[in-house]
Amino acid sequence: MNTIKDFFKTFLLFELLKGMALTGRYMFARKITVQFPEEKTPQGFRFRGLHAQRRYESGEERCIGCKLCEAVCPALAIKIAVAEREDGTRRTTQYDIDLTKCIFCGFCEESCPVDAIVETRVFEYHGENRGDLYYTKPMLLAVGDKHEAQIARDRAADSKYR
Amino acid sequence: MINIEIDGKLVETARGSTVMDAAHKAGVYIPHFCYHKKLSIAASCRMCLVEVEKAPKPLPACATPASDGMKVHTHSEMAVKAQKGVMEFLLINHPLDCPICDQGGECQLQDIAMGYGGGKSRYEEEKRAVVAKDVGVLISTNEMSRCIQCTRCVRFGQEIAGQMELGMINRSELAQITSFVNSTVNSELSGNMIDLCPVGALTSKPFRYTARAWELSRRKTVSPHDSVGANLAVHTKDNKVVRAVAVENEAVNECWISDKDRFSYEGLNSAERLTRPMIKQDSKWIEVEWAAALEYVANGLKQISRGAGAQHIASLATPHSTLEELYLLQKLMRGVGSSNVDFRLRQSDFSADGKQAGAPWLGMPIAELSNRDRYLVVGSFLRKDHPLLAQRIRQAVKAGASANVVHSADDDLLMPVANKAIVAPGDLVATLAQILIAVAVEKEVALSAELQKAVAGVKTSDTSVAIAKSMVSGKQGAVLLGNFAQQHPQAAQIALLAEQIAVLCEAKFGFLGEAANSVGGFVAGAVPFAGGVHGMNAAQMIESPRKAYLLLNVEPELDMQNPQAAISAMKAADMVVCLSAYKHNGMDYADVMLPIAPFTESSGTFVNTEGRVQSFKGAVKPLGDARPAWKVLRVLGNLLDVSGFNFDTSEAVRDEALSTGSMAEKLNNQIAAEIPLNLLLQRGEAQPGGLQRVADVPIYAADAVVRRATALQQTQDAAMPVATLHSSEMQKLGLSSGDSVKVTQGTGSVQLTVAADDKLPAGTMRVAAGHAATAALGAMFGTLIVERA
Repeated sequence: MNTIKDFFKTFLLFELLKGMALTGRYMFARKITVQFPEEKTPQGFRFRGLHAQRRYESGEERCIGCKLCEAVCPALAIKIAVAEREDGTRRTTQYDIDLTKCIFCGFCEESCPVDAIVETRVFEYHGENRGDLYYTKPMLLAVGDKHEAQIARDRAADSKYR
Repeated sequence: MINIEIDGKLVETARGSTVMDAAHKAGVYIPHFCYHKKLSIAASCRMCLVEVEKAPKPLPACATPASDGMKVHTHSEMAVKAQKGVMEFLLINHPLDCPICDQGGECQLQDIAMGYGGGKSRYEEEKRAVVAKDVGVLISTNEMSRCIQCTRCVRFGQEIAGQMELGMINRSELAQITSFVNSTVNSELSGNMIDLCPVGALTSKPFRYTARAWELSRRKTVSPHDSVGANLAVHTKDNKVVRAVAVENEAVNECWISDKDRFSYEGLNSAERLTRPMIKQDSKWIEVEWAAALEYVANGLKQISRGAGAQHIASLATPHSTLEELYLLQKLMRGVGSSNVDFRLRQSDFSADGKQAGAPWLGMPIAELSNRDRYLVVGSFLRKDHPLLAQRIRQAVKAGASANVVHSADDDLLMPVANKAIVAPGDLVATLAQILIAVAVEKEVALSAELQKAVAGVKTSDTSVAIAKSMVSGKQGAVLLGNFAQQHPQAAQIALLAEQIAVLCEAKFGFLGEAANSVGGFVAGAVPFAGGVHGMNAAQMIESPRKAYLLLNVEPELDMQNPQAAISAMKAADMVVCLSAYKHNGMDYADVMLPIAPFTESSGTFVNTEGRVQSFKGAVKPLGDARPAWKVLRVLGNLLDVSGFNFDTSEAVRDEALSTGSMAEKLNNQIAAEIPLNLLLQRGEAQPGGLQRVADVPIYAADAVVRRATALQQTQDAAMPVATLHSSEMQKLGLSSGDSVKVTQGTGSVQLTVAADDKLPAGTMRVAAGHAATAALGAMFGTLIVERA
């Protein structure tokens, strides 16, 4: 019995018509494709994009070189060197993130005791050479300076859940 | 013995021991900060509160004596509540700056707060802050706010180091640890306070912010400096040694190490490190490949051997070299037909050579040094030369032993000294002879006819009688010869007399070895009399200059008994080969510089002063093209066609070096009585118009590594040498303290500042050796002529 049923279904292109019907339905449905870059998808305040180093309002860098982010990084993407600055404070002399290694897990951000290393909403960046995505301390600080307003808003929004 | 129950476990513990001791025995951990097994009990941190049945309140385990049938709970509701409460109090004033604290990651406070703390503080008021103090270049007290007032550092200073350099002032919230006004911490053991501090209040200054605890690899090794052979762990990061800490070994260094062991690692990363083999051509240094350099050395030595003869090749090594290096060096030398090999660079009297029954050693295990009841320390700058052995003797003296000193300088030993005879170097032998006579009188025994003849006419003084009485009154004495006595021009006589004193007092007789491998050098046979043919000793090699010198680790102007003569011998030589980890002054006269690896970059073995064989492996890769010296010597042996040089590992070298007989058979302090006794009382005198030199080797000038340790070189102990003499001598010369004088010895003279030291015997002047500022002078013993500069 089933054999005969299958024979007629195949013979009359039933499966094809069923498939075409689905295609046809979507042809008239509301389109959800985002027209990037003219359009952007909405982002949450915990979005984990490009890293940034933050400063205090006084302009002093936040990072104290505790190396917790370096220790927690599962991809070993962070490299830090620390020395005593002239004023006696502990500061990084090198703070590099290799974005080609980074898996954007956000552990660095989570481990930071002073909210110095953060992941911003920026995800549209590129490098033309491999080394371009090796971010050094001045580059990270520059990202932070540029997006500080947004970063601060996002931290404030997240603060009640932390 | 009494029985006590801890957390349901029944343990037997000694009467009078504490609950903490019993818990250790039972394997139960009780959290604590102020308690330390080597220090007295303070019971100030209250972290070790436990519940004791029938006691109304929790009791501190460290200060509660265990009593029979006691039932202790360390995890009961009461105990846990007490621990949580204490932790909350301890953290009230703690800044919780763990992210920037050097102790972070290896901090007892962190660990115990995690394990026993409550997790949340109810304290919202302001925390106290303590102003930083400058206590020197080794210890950082920049964050004294972290202190939890456990007073371990204070107790360490009082009890172990013998001098209280830190103390606690004020009370309650104002209590703080501080040094005395305007003084720094200068103890040669001060670094241990860093280890002892359970928080990050006392941290290492040279290490500051170098690395976090979790970034470091720990490698066990052995200190290459003094003869204790302290067990160390060097911590490495990125193929670089960044600090050294103590490894506990109760039989050797207990849980302490000296500052020299701890901070000398800076010398390993010195900019002066030699990293490429170099050959001098047309008085210019050029870097070459290893093969070329070794070929050059082999050809040069072959030429000299063929021309002038193999006995014109000499080799000198420091006693800081490893057993393997010393063994291969002597094997190489004997292989090419020369027995001119020696490591006793600062020794001047070699008359006992070949007459010793074995290698001179401590005469007892190091641990036994702690429980002697009488000490006679002859010719030793004890605290500076042997900080850890001095510490052991200090503990024994504290427990009731008596220490007696015979020496030419009266440095503070930081322990009560029962009797001391401070005499000029020339009178050292006579003083010992006096003591020997006095001991014989006290013991009512007759000296042997020979000895009697030799000491005839010697009159005992009150001091020597007092020393003799003190030594005779004990049951377990020790007669110890220090570096000064071993370097003395009458060292054999001193040893002979000291041994006789020890025999009569039924005391142990021992040599305090000068360096890490002073015993190992003998065991390796790196002495001219070890083989069948007797070669030249260190002094002879300099007195009758050789054509070629092979220098292993040696910097002749700093490491030799007579730098003046050593330099001129080197300059006159046809070929000087320096195997050195550093570029040093030897480059003026050397022809080849071969970069060798210091102890952290090479495997090796040190035999310490008690004959303990301690092997270690390299902790990091050799810097640049440097290679372990045993490998260099091995290849050199191949190039010179010496047989038996096919070693693959340093272990194979060590096993061959130690293959003959056990260590116990090789150690023997006895001197066969062939020493010419008529020399016994020949009094050493200064030439007319001069003063006898008393030369110490300053603690941070003793070997190549420590000389380049930057922080240690800024300490008080490394200050510029000052010529000190008795104020009566100064009056005679019309000098006053602070004057600049020209000190002449032999053909050289140096300019030094002069200072009064009334503890020095008359007719002497103390001028340190082993320092660049005094390297132009002659032997460590001799006559100094002083003139106003």
